[in-house]
Amino acid sequence: MQKNRRALISPFLLAASALIVAGPLSAASAAEVTLNIASMNDPFGAAMTKLAPKVEAATGVAIKVDIMSYGELMTKTSADFIGDTGSYDIVTMDNVLTGQYATAGQVIDLKPWIEQDAAELDLDDVYPVVMNSLGGYGEMQVAFPFSGYANVLVYRTDLFEAAGLSAPTTMQELQAAAEKITDREKGQYGWVANGQKGPAVAQDWMQYNAQLGGSILDAEGKPAINSDANVESLTVYKAFFDKAAPPGAVDYDWGGREQAFRQGVAATMQTWSVGAAGYGDPAQSNVVDKFAVIKAPTGEGVEPKYGIGGWGLSINEDIAEDRQAAAWTVIKYLAGKEGQKELALLGAGGFVRKSTLADPELNAKYPFLPIIAESFEKGDGDYRPRIPEYPEIQDILGTAVNAVLAGDADPKAALDDAQARAEDLF
Amino acid sequence: MADAATQPKEAAAAAAASTHARPGLGQRLLGRFFPALFPPGEPLEAQRRLFLIALTAPVITYVLVFAVYPAIVGLSYSLWRYNLLRPHRTAFVGFDNYVKFFSDPAMQAALWNTAVFVVAAVILEFLLGFALALLLWRDRLFSRICLALLLVPVTVTPLATGLIFRALLTADYGPIGYWARILGISGERGFLGTPSTALATIVVMDVWQWTPLMALILLAGLKAIPATTLEAARVDGATALQRLTTIVVPLMVPSILLALLLRMIDASMVFDTIYVTTNGGPNNATNVLMIAAVKEGLEFFNIGTASTIATVMLALVGLMATVFFLLIGRYEKKVAP
Repeated sequence: MQKNRRALISPFLLAASALIVAGPLSAASAAEVTLNIASMNDPFGAAMTKLAPKVEAATGVAIKVDIMSYGELMTKTSADFIGDTGSYDIVTMDNVLTGQYATAGQVIDLKPWIEQDAAELDLDDVYPVVMNSLGGYGEMQVAFPFSGYANVLVYRTDLFEAAGLSAPTTMQELQAAAEKITDREKGQYGWVANGQKGPAVAQDWMQYNAQLGGSILDAEGKPAINSDANVESLTVYKAFFDKAAPPGAVDYDWGGREQAFRQGVAATMQTWSVGAAGYGDPAQSNVVDKFAVIKAPTGEGVEPKYGIGGWGLSINEDIAEDRQAAAWTVIKYLAGKEGQKELALLGAGGFVRKSTLADPELNAKYPFLPIIAESFEKGDGDYRPRIPEYPEIQDILGTAVNAVLAGDADPKAALDDAQARAEDLF
Repeated sequence: MADAATQPKEAAAAAAASTHARPGLGQRLLGRFFPALFPPGEPLEAQRRLFLIALTAPVITYVLVFAVYPAIVGLSYSLWRYNLLRPHRTAFVGFDNYVKFFSDPAMQAALWNTAVFVVAAVILEFLLGFALALLLWRDRLFSRICLALLLVPVTVTPLATGLIFRALLTADYGPIGYWARILGISGERGFLGTPSTALATIVVMDVWQWTPLMALILLAGLKAIPATTLEAARVDGATALQRLTTIVVPLMVPSILLALLLRMIDASMVFDTIYVTTNGGPNNATNVLMIAAVKEGLEFFNIGTASTIATVMLALVGLMATVFFLLIGRYEKKVAP
């Protein structure tokens, strides 16, 4: 009996042993190095995962992409940096955190490597504003641009046509059109934006604020939150909410805002270009063939500048030098011409290169690419101040703007209070 | 012949002597494996003391490592300006963090909202839970089925609860929120978007989720009341109300206090439902201490401020627990024979 049991178990033990031994050997034989990438849960995360075999074939380096929500990404990468654990080799960096990354010394300065491989990288092909705003900080380059987004306006062509309106080119035209289209009894609203307290409302308002001529910092880089221009823009933002937004928009974050447009509840919305492909997908949208993507309007008399955001790729300072070198090889591929086109074809939605935005195949697939290209030419990546204190400033603004929208404070008082709080940070 | 007064003392001494005459099995085993700590020649009383210390050591170690040490570290961090992302600016600031906490309107709102939320939610949950427990007291199949169904909300995570209520209450297309707005029951921006109703809505969500748990704890207390006592009262002519007020409630005081204490501690840590519905807004209408602590600690990595908030919360919970334990102690003294 004992002998029989042993005879039964032995093959399983042998098989398990073989698996244990063969597992690492087979992994090592495919690539010498496997890098861990901490990725935001934007479309590029899934695209990078799909592209991993090609990355390995092109660079000899295997990548493992850990896709996370924004909060999780921040917590995990910060814990990794602070604990010097080197768990992640490459980190996707939100461009607003450039200052924080640069001053905390958590990632390496890519400047020397970029200069060394300038020809290979074909830097002239990268939009200068994208190069700067997705990783540049003073003399440093703490991330290489990887997935750039432009702020664009999407609007319902059918509703505009029915109302006898043309596409808005200024903020005043947008406001007038949004109010005209709004019909509360029918549940049709002319406009939607984020209203929820915190980063959601802060980021959307900062966008409108810049387009209306406002600025969060003054020329010396100090807070100028309660400037006349900012108070005026917040007054306009509140008027949009009061007269043209769905009633619940004061509680909307990005998900709620997108849903309102895709469901057909709202006729216009400013958004990152990364989502534009989704409006034409019947599985995600009720407004297929009824929308257009155009450049974001600016206030009358304000020089047209278009908000730029997105993600860069950074290399963790705590990892060994050979892994840093391997990480740089991977970044060069992912941000290079070939990698960028492959990612775009996989639906990553972000762009950093002129050649990618001009690619005929991609233009056939995504007809709004010229709008992104034009926005990048006159882009503004600093309307959200990329300074180390950005997270706190964003929180302060997120509370102040939400208080105004909820009717708890008037714009001047709310921004005066925000200014006082922001000054304490410096 | 010994007098009557000395007889019990002698009996007690004899009983004690018999108890300590021979070390117990546990003591003997400890003496065998740890002879240095439990030498065979040691007086039995000393061995017994050491044995008891050995028994309680794991609990004491657990409490020291997982409760006392973190509390002390948290308290010490609260006296520093300490941000993980700006370590070069670390400095000892004494009670400055506390001064800022109590003078900051946002923190004042968080403190006030937490207190209002805890009191309102727990009182409502207690009243409804007690009513439910009374309804389900009789051990019938119907009661058991109802109890099982009532416990469904408890099994839903608070995060999911928040998302469900958010979808239901949104003023634009929520099945409840839309009609509430159209019929004028809620404000134009909906229950969660209106500062005057946002916190009350969060309270309702909490009541929906946790009333069944309160009912379950109270039902356990009800079941522990001897049926003979109630029957005797009924035979003596006591009405249902009289039985409730003079027998049921007094006998249930320990269960009631336990249920209230557990829920108050839990309610003071409310986070998930608020985080996914309002994120503390509109303005500061639903800002609570846990939201503020998580934001400071995990978004800004501002450990000094986060520790200050955590210490204030710890003090609040400690205060609540002390009051309840005093009440329980007083009750036990009152009912002790």
